Amino acid sequence: MIRVENLQKSFKAVRALDGLSFEAPDGAVTGLIGPNGAGKTTALRILCTVMRPDSGRATIDGLDTAMERQAAQQRLGVVPDSRGLYPRMTAREHILYCGRLHGMDDVDLARRIDELTSLLGMAEFIDRRAKGFSKGQMRKVALARALVHRPQNILLDEPTNGLDVSSSRSVHDLIRELRDQGRCIVFCSHIMQEVANISDQVVVMARGRAAACGTVPELLAQTGATDIEGVFLSLTGDGVKEAAQ
Amino acid sequence: MTRAMLLSPWRGVRTVFVKEVVDNARDHRSLLSALIYPLLGPILLGLLFSAIVKATVASEDDAPMIVPISGMEHAPGLIEYLESQDLMLVAAPADAERAVQIGEVRIALIIHEGFDDAINADATGAVTAIFNSSNLPGLLAVSRLKEILGGYNRAILDRRLEVRGVEQSVLHPVTIVNVNVATEKNVIGFLFLMVPPLIIFNIFMGGVYLAMDTTSGERERGTLESLMVHPVPRWGLLLGKYLAALLFTVAAVAVQLLAFKLVLYATGTADLDFAQRLSWPALGLMLIVSVPLMMVAVGIQVIIASLTRTYKEAQTYLGLLPLIPAIPGMVLVFAPIHSQTWMTIVPILSQTLILGDLVSGDPVSPVAITLSALGSIAVASLFVSFASWLYEQERLVFGS
Repeated sequence: MIRVENLQKSFKAVRALDGLSFEAPDGAVTGLIGPNGAGKTTALRILCTVMRPDSGRATIDGLDTAMERQAAQQRLGVVPDSRGLYPRMTAREHILYCGRLHGMDDVDLARRIDELTSLLGMAEFIDRRAKGFSKGQMRKVALARALVHRPQNILLDEPTNGLDVSSSRSVHDLIRELRDQGRCIVFCSHIMQEVANISDQVVVMARGRAAACGTVPELLAQTGATDIEGVFLSLTGDGVKEAAQ
Repeated sequence: MTRAMLLSPWRGVRTVFVKEVVDNARDHRSLLSALIYPLLGPILLGLLFSAIVKATVASEDDAPMIVPISGMEHAPGLIEYLESQDLMLVAAPADAERAVQIGEVRIALIIHEGFDDAINADATGAVTAIFNSSNLPGLLAVSRLKEILGGYNRAILDRRLEVRGVEQSVLHPVTIVNVNVATEKNVIGFLFLMVPPLIIFNIFMGGVYLAMDTTSGERERGTLESLMVHPVPRWGLLLGKYLAALLFTVAAVAVQLLAFKLVLYATGTADLDFAQRLSWPALGLMLIVSVPLMMVAVGIQVIIASLTRTYKEAQTYLGLLPLIPAIPGMVLVFAPIHSQTWMTIVPILSQTLILGDLVSGDPVSPVAITLSALGSIAVASLFVSFASWLYEQERLVFGS
């Protein structure tokens, strides 16, 4: 379970997060949406321990991401915003590296890599060096790395960005499967339809805060909109206008 | 809630270390700086060695030295003397100066008309020696010729004194016995002093690409953020990378020392006395003395690679870095100093002095080696702590 309480984070004069709070329960997919600059990536970076909040706290299964970083990291799988690969290492070596950093033994790892290879359709490039990988292949390796240690909590920043329709669909299936296993999944995306399709709850972010939080039908009812895009615009419209000014 | 056991950070250190070594062994830049660049210094010294050996062997071997002479007919006495000195006299080319200039002959001796008449009349006869001071064999030949002519000069003088009944010792208050030690040994011995600065340069060069690739490079590729979400403390990530860069540096210096040894064999100088200064135990000791300085060097590299915003920026600073520590060694080649106690603890300076003593064949005290190691390890620890602190900073991950 992931809990975010009143997070504040500023970069010099820019206030990226301004009291963000939400809770992502186990066995559910929580989608984060919001206009550019709403603080989605900053929130995920604090959750995945690479940034510290100025105040407030984020916990992974009750573990503070700033104070109990290593324990939180052990329970976390992340596809971060920047997801470059090491050009001279093969896809398999990338996943091995992550697994070892998570303390997995090589026998278990080899089995797990085989599983992920067929799950994500990586057989054709698993032993190729990453230099020259397509965007889709890179995303798959990033996903495999995040999932290799079977984490209870999973953070995905734009998980299907750059993937074609069939690959996107298999990622959606995978996310649902992980949810059905009882895992806690938080992802952010700017594809509204994707968010509506796979989220059990949606957190709409605007100006560093949660403008609304609930299931898609709840949000539709709350805003009187007919679709998720309408929800988005009605909840974040002020922010967009302000940014435009 | 049950708290899962934390993973041992050392496992993470090992994993990062192994990954960086394997990854960088595939990078031709890292390999070049660790295995090929270190050869350049020894190769350069090898070329100088063989040039000197060729020059001195040619002048010192048993074959008589060839001396082109013009005007032999003016000085039969001198010619007889020169021939008795085991010189092979040949007629000089018509334009002797030009012939020496273009290297057709090494030297030429011109005996001027009326030489013998002047000698017989108790006056001064003149000869001209033509040589090219920028040509080492020529320089050596002319110095030998001057020595022989000096002998002739003394013989004539002694004869004149004898005729006048004067004791020879009256005009020889001081006898200078020339013991020529300026042989190839000493010239190459002097070149040996170039070895320490070359090693120091290499210490700061060997792991440089790995240090850059694992920090600035990782940030620029966008892999650092993914790495930092793993359950390894930041200092553990840093230490794994640091140790990998250290290994490449050790390899670079070992390759270089090996190359120095091979150069001695290749130039046929390995059997000479001074070559013992680069004996296997001495080379081993040089490597041991160098390791603490490598720890300092890699520390600086990791810090610079962390502070700079881009790979290119890091490359600029780290490319210049090796020149600075090599300066004391270069200065010491031309202006040797006596080591003071405080110097034995200062990184760079202490190693330069100890390596200098080793290549000069001077004894090195274990105390000096220990102090040098302790001083450098202390500084290296500070650098590693500072680098670990940098790894905790968000700007390291995101570059600003």
